[in-house]
Amino acid sequence: MLTVLIYGAVTSAILAMLAVGFTLIFGVARILNLAHGAFYALGAYCTYSLTATYKVPLIVAALASVALVALFGMAMERVLVRPQRQSSLAVLMITLMVALTVEQVLFVVFGSQSKNVPAFINFPVYLHGVSLDGQRLLALAVAVCLIGALWLFIQRTRLGSAILAISQDPEAAQYMGIPANRIFSLVMGLSAALAGAAGVIAGPFLSVRPTMDQTAMITAFSVVIVGGLGSIPGSILAALIIGYSETFVAFYLNPEWTGTVSLVAILLTLVLRPAGLMGRAVGA
Amino acid sequence: MRRIVPLLTSVVFAGALAMSFQAKAASNKPILIGLDTPIQHQVGKDTVAAVKMAVEEINAKGGVLGRKLAYVVADEGVDPQLGVSAINKLTSDDHVNVLIGGYSSGVTLAEEPHIAQSKTIWIGVGSASPNITALVGKDYDKYKYIFRVNPLNSALQAAQIVDFAKNVVKDQLGRDKVAILGESAIWVRGLVPVLVKGLEANGMKVTYQQLFDESMNDFTPLFARVKDSGAKYLLVILSHANSDVFVKQLYEARLPMPYGGIDVKSMTPNFCSRVNGAAVGETTVNFITRAPITPKTIPFWDKFVKENGRAPVYTAPGAYNSVYLYAWAVEKAGTTDADPVIKQLEKADYLGVGGKIKFNKVHDDIDGPGYQNLLFVQWQKDCTRQVVWPKELATGKIMLPPWVK
Amino acid sequence: MGGAVLVGLLAAAPPLLHNQYFTGVFIVCAIEAIWAASWNFFSGLTGRENFGTALFIGGGAYTAAFFNSTFGLNAWWSIPGGIVVAVVLGLVVGFPTLRLKGPYFALATLASAAIMQQVAINLWQYTGGSEGIYGLDRLVDSSLGYYYFVLAVLLATVLVLSLIAHSRWGTILRAIKGDETACQAAGINVTVYKIASLALSAAFAGLGGVLFAHYQQAVTPDDFDVFLSISVIIMAYVGGIGSIWGAAVGGILLNLMLELLRGMGEYRLLVYYLILMVVLFFMRSGVVVPLWRRLSGGRSA
Repeated sequence: MLTVLIYGAVTSAILAMLAVGFTLIFGVARILNLAHGAFYALGAYCTYSLTATYKVPLIVAALASVALVALFGMAMERVLVRPQRQSSLAVLMITLMVALTVEQVLFVVFGSQSKNVPAFINFPVYLHGVSLDGQRLLALAVAVCLIGALWLFIQRTRLGSAILAISQDPEAAQYMGIPANRIFSLVMGLSAALAGAAGVIAGPFLSVRPTMDQTAMITAFSVVIVGGLGSIPGSILAALIIGYSETFVAFYLNPEWTGTVSLVAILLTLVLRPAGLMGRAVGA
Repeated sequence: MRRIVPLLTSVVFAGALAMSFQAKAASNKPILIGLDTPIQHQVGKDTVAAVKMAVEEINAKGGVLGRKLAYVVADEGVDPQLGVSAINKLTSDDHVNVLIGGYSSGVTLAEEPHIAQSKTIWIGVGSASPNITALVGKDYDKYKYIFRVNPLNSALQAAQIVDFAKNVVKDQLGRDKVAILGESAIWVRGLVPVLVKGLEANGMKVTYQQLFDESMNDFTPLFARVKDSGAKYLLVILSHANSDVFVKQLYEARLPMPYGGIDVKSMTPNFCSRVNGAAVGETTVNFITRAPITPKTIPFWDKFVKENGRAPVYTAPGAYNSVYLYAWAVEKAGTTDADPVIKQLEKADYLGVGGKIKFNKVHDDIDGPGYQNLLFVQWQKDCTRQVVWPKELATGKIMLPPWVK
Repeated sequence: MGGAVLVGLLAAAPPLLHNQYFTGVFIVCAIEAIWAASWNFFSGLTGRENFGTALFIGGGAYTAAFFNSTFGLNAWWSIPGGIVVAVVLGLVVGFPTLRLKGPYFALATLASAAIMQQVAINLWQYTGGSEGIYGLDRLVDSSLGYYYFVLAVLLATVLVLSLIAHSRWGTILRAIKGDETACQAAGINVTVYKIASLALSAAFAGLGGVLFAHYQQAVTPDDFDVFLSISVIIMAYVGGIGSIWGAAVGGILLNLMLELLRGMGEYRLLVYYLILMVVLFFMRSGVVVPLWRRLSGGRSA
């Protein structure tokens, strides 16, 4: 029972880490970034590469990977997305192409075999007689800290208020002198960093293959739709709902159907309440 | 309008010519072997390496019927549609004399009608589903071109696993309750029912069985169920599935029982080290090891390691044997025409590097004393490998995983 | 007519080159052209981006697999069967989501195709899982014959859809793209038009899926894959959004390019994606139609 509780919490935490970045960049810059899953993959592969090939110590590799992914995201936004911002179709397409290209690069460079991202914690932790994987607990802790830090940043700092302003009314914010483009870059960097961090911390116990961006993308998607595009609290709530639903299905029904939970959640939301739990209302 | 026509004409024809030039390059002299294999996977890379070795050796001794051997590779991945495209390219564009390859049974089965249509001999070295050779029995005239040299089909493998389970798991380790976890691929679906029946006939009980899609990447819930079912040994049947993650998560969950079975990815020499030793204790099936199974085994193994810097996986001996077998059949038949070569192959009783190769009525390789058999190899301390079954070839004793009492 | 010459070229090329592999490539090119044309009919005209064409393609393909391989029906039944299934899928997805503004239709189509892919994998007892279903018959036995059959279907598709696009129906769709509210105010039942158009688009996409399945003689969950949906959109892009025949030509060119890149081995898809990114980035109004317009001296297409 405790296993299921913790397991669900860990799953939800990883989902939240993926979803928050995705919903943030949409809420602020109206960018549906389909390359978000690629950031997750790059975080894991970067860590693997730095530790395995260059023998960098794990903590340094982890921080460097997150930074590199953040830079990659910012570069992508600046070079590929910004010129196409008028057309949402174009943004969807170009980010999707980035995701597919990154996948191919990973295939060519690293091969199709699973890679082994080293874990910070290699031993099980014993709680109330139940053995829990140490790295999974660490992932839970890191997710909570990072999302909490992000929330505080947005709510309590001037830069955070600027971000909120842009997301609520971009034109007014610009009249107030808030540099929209620089904010977009910053937010994209934060978004990519979160996704990359998820890859670093979850890579050790989840599958690290070139196609890992696809599952990450679909689950992040579902959480964001259910929670409401643009709402961080919505994403966290939806992450908990979907995370625990998946865990329930895995442990008590059929583990094969865990992948479908998020997809069904998307469809139900779009049919019943497209705005999601906490999103703004959309209608015909 | 007058200007558009020539432009579009050139575009279409440029494309057509480019492709036909690719085909023209193949001259008529060498005997061309087409390899349909997943080039991004270890099994594919080893297929190519082994064929390369065999082709070079045969050419050094004068070739076949005075002609040199050559080979061309087409990626079939693990995608049936890519495979069909690869077969079409090899047969219709490269005009190969023989096809050697295969890995995923789903891909092979999708390719078979196309292979049959092209009337090219195909020698399988990697896919295990009995359905592949069953077609030879159902429609001999259409499918007579299909042969399988390797591996043993999954029904035969199941029987040999039962043998291992009875003699090692039950008799040596004293465990008679077994759980089965496997991927839901076609070759496994043919294997598990035979396995279950055989286990039960030998006094063992299957307390839990579950197949899952090869994309599954979180097995912890499954391990919980295996544990709860009262099983004392876990049999695994994995090939395309995420073995690395499976083994790592099993180790993290400290599943309280020994485990083993078929795990193709675990055949790779660096498997144990790339999961940081989490695989210690896993017993997996292998088709070859550095032991004198036949006089040809160790020379093959050593040469392969020398040329490629790594030990071979199961498709390598199969591919190597196939080239030699085909060369032998062509020499005997005196031609590369398919029908006479097929007649020779059907009569073969050829000594390969893993045992003798002989085909049954549906062109499937047989097992038995002297022929090809499964070896059960276990990862032990420091990621060394020991053969633990069959007794005649054993190099060590089976051990329990370090965390199991 | 330049179009007639192009058709003549397409018809003549394979037998002239007497290469079965090449014929096969052209068969797939033609099928992809059908998909691209069907996509452009709906999304190009209405501006509502369909990110899940693979849903209809896979629907048609798997119907063909069930009818022909699992149930043993004659292969020709797959055609009506596949079309019906694709239309039903179009209605099921279109009905709740076409009335929404914003990216929801695009997301819903994307998600639906992904769901069907997952279902095809999970229900492996019936669908063969990741390995799919094999053993379908050819609709026409000879490769050349199959090619001419597909070419005929492609021509019919382009003709039918172009006729509709130039009729009142098409004008209304374009008006909806421009200003939906104004159309509603003018008394047009916008939702009916959108749903009907999606259903028609789905029908042709599904038909293409059936033809594809019977050519490959196997279906897999990849027939629902997002990459397939994206490829179709890119073909339409290259052709010029809004032009039916342009999309068809785009389909042929792109698939041809992908096959030509086979010589790049492992790098094939990578190079393909990079080329596509460049095309997407720099040629947003497409390649084929603007090129045609320029070369034919600015005449209307």
